[in-house]
Amino acid sequence: MRRALSHPSFMIGLVLTGFIVTIALLSLFWTPHDPGKMQILQRLRPPSVQFWLGTDQFGRDIASMLMVGARNALLVGIVAVGIGFVVGMMLGVFAAQHEGSLLDEILMRLLDFTFAFPAVLSAILILTFLGPGVVNAVIAIGIYSVPIFARLARGAALQVFSRDFIRAARLAGCSRLSILRRHVLPNIAGLMIVQASLQFSLAILAEAGLSYLGIGTQPPNPSWGRMLFDAQTYMARAPLVAVFPGVAIAMAALAFNLLGDGLRDLLDPRLKER
Amino acid sequence: MMKIGPETPVPASSGRLRRHARLGTACSTILAAFLCSNGLATAQNRDSVTVCQTLEPTILDPTASAAAAIREVTYANIFEGLVGFDRNSKLVPRLAESWQASPDGMKYTFKLRAGAAFHDGTPVTSADVKFSFDRAGAPDSKNPQKWIFEPIGAVAAPAPDTVEITLKTYAADFLEGLAWGDAIILSEKSVAKAATEPVGTGPYRFVRWNRGDRLVLERNDAWWGGKASIKSATFRFIADPQAQVSAMLSGDCDAFTNIGAPEAVDQLKKDGRLVVTIGSTEGETILAMNNAKAPLSDIRVRKAIAMAVDRKLVNEGAISGFGTPIGSHFSPNHPAYIDLTGEVKFDTKAAKALLAEAGLANGFKVSLRLPPPAYARRGGEIIAAMLAEIGITAEIEPVEWPQWLERVFRNKDFDLTVISHVEPMDLNIYARDGYYFGYSSPELKAAVAATKTARSEAERKAAFEAAQRQIARDQVNAFLFMLPKITVAKKGLTGMWPSWPMPANPLAELKWE
Repeated sequence: MRRALSHPSFMIGLVLTGFIVTIALLSLFWTPHDPGKMQILQRLRPPSVQFWLGTDQFGRDIASMLMVGARNALLVGIVAVGIGFVVGMMLGVFAAQHEGSLLDEILMRLLDFTFAFPAVLSAILILTFLGPGVVNAVIAIGIYSVPIFARLARGAALQVFSRDFIRAARLAGCSRLSILRRHVLPNIAGLMIVQASLQFSLAILAEAGLSYLGIGTQPPNPSWGRMLFDAQTYMARAPLVAVFPGVAIAMAALAFNLLGDGLRDLLDPRLKER
Repeated sequence: MMKIGPETPVPASSGRLRRHARLGTACSTILAAFLCSNGLATAQNRDSVTVCQTLEPTILDPTASAAAAIREVTYANIFEGLVGFDRNSKLVPRLAESWQASPDGMKYTFKLRAGAAFHDGTPVTSADVKFSFDRAGAPDSKNPQKWIFEPIGAVAAPAPDTVEITLKTYAADFLEGLAWGDAIILSEKSVAKAATEPVGTGPYRFVRWNRGDRLVLERNDAWWGGKASIKSATFRFIADPQAQVSAMLSGDCDAFTNIGAPEAVDQLKKDGRLVVTIGSTEGETILAMNNAKAPLSDIRVRKAIAMAVDRKLVNEGAISGFGTPIGSHFSPNHPAYIDLTGEVKFDTKAAKALLAEAGLANGFKVSLRLPPPAYARRGGEIIAAMLAEIGITAEIEPVEWPQWLERVFRNKDFDLTVISHVEPMDLNIYARDGYYFGYSSPELKAAVAATKTARSEAERKAAFEAAQRQIARDQVNAFLFMLPKITVAKKGLTGMWPSWPMPANPLAELKWE
């Protein structure tokens, strides 16, 4: 705990993440204005007492939209990373159990294949099949994070499987499932959580990117990426409109990256002694 | 995008301070070069012009596809008809020098222009006219405006320079129809290649087409109308509104036919090198509704939707207020226009009451398919928010043009869509069976038929007025505004059409001053 408090990047990440989560939760109960309310005659206003961060091209309150957008980003992150985490871990551990078998080979080569495509590109590819929309975007982002988790889980699980206590457990007659549950999963969990945190920031960036391209979150639901895209048209007239969603995206990505880095350092057994 | 000037080398021997000073002057030279470069560029290229537009044609044959982009490139440039429209939508002679209609309006005699020839050198004769009109009116014709040719009974070519057209049914708009880009004269010899390597009769001949980028034309020195002022003309296609603005600011385009970023008008106006003209198009922009599909088949629901949409705010938010509000499907530029914008007043409460009356007090869900242009995407988002106020959830789905044509236009698989109908005088689409609105009204059909059979201008005007009223009364769609034409041209380039009676950019009228 003390180590955590004295780890600067972890703390910065934690504070920023906390801030974003708080804002997102707060938006469930309260926003300064209705984020969907258009006051077209008040469009592209600079920040003021009434509109803290100004208004967008339809006269919507940017601060309120960013708050709801945070909720959107977090939700996308949680579900997409959740899909990748759960499916990836299952596949990875399964492959590790059958190490060297044909099944393992096929599975891992398949994952390598998906891994070969750049993340956002494969998400776009998946979205062209599924059609645009936030649910499909989440699925797409989830799918492309599966191989990352699966490879990691396989590698880590292989290491665990080779340890003596597994052999001991086997000799003691523990079932496969209970070995998995009691020995393998807890031992790879730390690694997976670190990866999840890093993956989270990628998922937020991917959602922003997809929404920027118009195939992610659809209006009227606010999304940071879409806000950025919409604002781009008005850069010459109201540059600040683009700055705020940009800052939000950068901040969220930074927050989860720092958090992940910090977690990695804290959870790494090799670093514990230092 | 910033244009970066050429780097001015700084002598390495100069001291730090001097280097800074030099850098300063270098910068200002670069800046000056940047500011002047476009002026210089135009001075060098008086013999050529680059006209940019949003959409690229899919093919170049207007008799085979309805796409406006084809006409924007070819009309009065590559292809010509017997007659044409000028910039004030006045009927003017083109390949026909003169014409005469019989007193009963059933027979037209055209005298062809001496000296008119195709780009391959063959003269335009009455046989070409007969070929073109017979082809366009044939049962298997792909011509998008078959109504033009439907009244034709027979086309005769008594002499090489004389064409006689006998009508089987009287049509008040027959001559007008012949001015459309769909009634161009093609040669039997080259018609097969019209889609990709068109051979026309106009002041410019086709040179090459780099798909996805540009299309190059060259002056036809043998044109019957004399030599055009500019020798070489290039059409460039830039779909993204921001890129359009950048292309104008950087000087890559000499003119933009209709810039897609109305929000950039102020910025463009401030630039002393450019001239911005706001004109009008024939683009009735509407919130189209699927009249054949419940609950939109209920006129009360359609009316409620129209009432919930504040067209003034949509105009303001989607295209910065440059549109002209309309209350029916008719252009304010036409003499028969009547203002029906007051027919349905923006009134959320009344709209809700109407919905309740229709048994939909709790609202309902509809899809709202939006094609790429800003008026549709942005306008649609505003409309969705307005519909939400009366409890209607409009699920926005952005679609690309091919998808829109396939799903909405052809398969009628939609509830709502925002679209601009850019053809002139297209009221008759409401009388077409199987058109994507899913609307059918005997009264309207009668009114549209009356516009055709009218024997006098007054009679025709009355029929148009009746048709406008009928469409508004039936609230077929929610009528929003006419799209503006925002023309941007470099100072010194004159002759761009400020308004579009039809989508066309006649290059022969352009001139550098």
